[in-house]
Amino acid sequence: MLSSVSLGWRIESAPDVLSTGAAECPRGRITEIIGPRSSGRTSFLQSILAASTRLGEFAVLVDATDSFDPCTAAAAGVALDKIIWIRCAGNVEHAMRAADLVIQSGGFGVVALDLAEAAESGLNRIPATTWFRWRRSVEATPTVLAVVANRPLTKSCSALLIEMKRKRAIFTGNLLRGAEYEIAPRKPIGKEGKALHCMAV
Amino acid sequence: MYACIHAPGAGALAQSFSPHIEMVDAQTAVFSITPRQVPGLQRISRAAVAETAEAAILAARHLPGLTFIPPGEETNILGALSIDCLPPDPEIFQTLDLWGIRSLAELARLPENGLAERLGPRGLWMQKLARGALDRPLKPVALETTYEESMELDYSIKLIEPLMFLIGRFLHDLCARLDAQSLAAGAVQLTLNGKERLLRLPFPTRDVKFLLKLVQHDLEAHKPGESIDRLRLRIIPTDPRRVQHGLFTPAAPEPEKLELTLGKIRALVGQKNVKTPELRNTHRPGWSIGDSRLAFRYFRPPITARVEIEGGQPKHVSTRVCRGKIAKLSGPWRTSGDWWRADQWNRDEWDLGLPDGSLYRLYCDQGGWFVEGSYD
Repeated sequence: MLSSVSLGWRIESAPDVLSTGAAECPRGRITEIIGPRSSGRTSFLQSILAASTRLGEFAVLVDATDSFDPCTAAAAGVALDKIIWIRCAGNVEHAMRAADLVIQSGGFGVVALDLAEAAESGLNRIPATTWFRWRRSVEATPTVLAVVANRPLTKSCSALLIEMKRKRAIFTGNLLRGAEYEIAPRKPIGKEGKALHCMAV
Repeated sequence: MYACIHAPGAGALAQSFSPHIEMVDAQTAVFSITPRQVPGLQRISRAAVAETAEAAILAARHLPGLTFIPPGEETNILGALSIDCLPPDPEIFQTLDLWGIRSLAELARLPENGLAERLGPRGLWMQKLARGALDRPLKPVALETTYEESMELDYSIKLIEPLMFLIGRFLHDLCARLDAQSLAAGAVQLTLNGKERLLRLPFPTRDVKFLLKLVQHDLEAHKPGESIDRLRLRIIPTDPRRVQHGLFTPAAPEPEKLELTLGKIRALVGQKNVKTPELRNTHRPGWSIGDSRLAFRYFRPPITARVEIEGGQPKHVSTRVCRGKIAKLSGPWRTSGDWWRADQWNRDEWDLGLPDGSLYRLYCDQGGWFVEGSYD
């Protein structure tokens, strides 16, 4: 009997996914979340971290601009005791090297690299080969590599590219009650968008 | 097979045979022995070898020279001893005296059931002792061992690499010593030219390669800055790690690998910048779960803002990250606390929306106006 293995073919099965409330992030792939300020990027990232830590996995957040807020993350369901928070004080190069070390180390459910609000000069210096290398590094692992940025950085290396859009802020009288965002998947093509409601109180 | 030495300095003598010894009293030490080691006991004035520890103790204490009790011969050899050799128990001894029992052989011959009915479990225990059949594990004493190596160098060392070579040798010896005592390293204390540095380990280990890498990363992050003449390495021992693995527990990074990775990252971004976030028991903004559950991104440090006020409320904001007329406003929310401390806070907060849809948190305190971050 001929089998695909004996012929040297590698069957590419659909990757395992990490289901968050907002989307399904493929494991062993790069998920990129882009959007302008107040578009829900952080809410989406927190939902990924919450989904992973809820399963008992450990996650790493490489925070290029020291912008992480543990209070709202805990309120979103992130188990803070399962997170390693690496603060890079605005240094993109340090963030990339730290993320590289973490990815090579392995064993994490989610490795999140938050490059939103990072200096454009630093982002422009990231070699394109880095993303290809990371794509290969996480390929055979159960890790979701999530990259948050203002604009697409990973190009063809991401398996899931989500563009977050502002929809509306919900003010009731003298109170900010929440915000509504739109999740627009740009990759893979053909996926329908969703609305993400985040309530403040 | 157990051996017992009953002589002054019994502990030191026993340690020359085995690292695990039990000190019964100041002059009596009992330990496990192999047949090959038995001839070594001949130089000792009072010693005994038997199948059980208690039989060896009785023989060593009350019979002169070296006594070897073959298995099954305990009653024959110990039988001649008086029952006063047993641990004192006045009530039982009085009863035995009334029965005319004078020697261990006589006690050993009594029927077990009758003895149990009349003297209870203590009587049975003494009979087992008299028969040399009371088997029990040893209770080894913890030996006081120092895990320290030091060296004074003829030629001072300037580079880390040759220093690591010496540290590696020290670690190798110390970990072998830890291994012999079934212990692991809980912390490593490295003293270079009298300057001490304590490296606490996240988990007990005696893996030489791992410890060496950890010390190397620490030295690279905190360079000595001078030539090294004197070197001392001390390991603080602790119990080894015991981990229960589960079939269904999610995959987690290997502790050794993770610690080395974090060590490299700490050397890169700084010690205090790698941590697990935690909330504190305070209402200080940014330190505890507040009322807002909307995801927030901080600008660290907060960005100075120029704000135009109209009717007591901000109307226009201008900073290096955002600028514009305020379209929507929520506030002021007054917060204050820790007034008894130097770092007290007292401020008014607003949540504001700009015409482009972006949401920010603005606050005003004694230092002026600041944008703290954005809702995202």
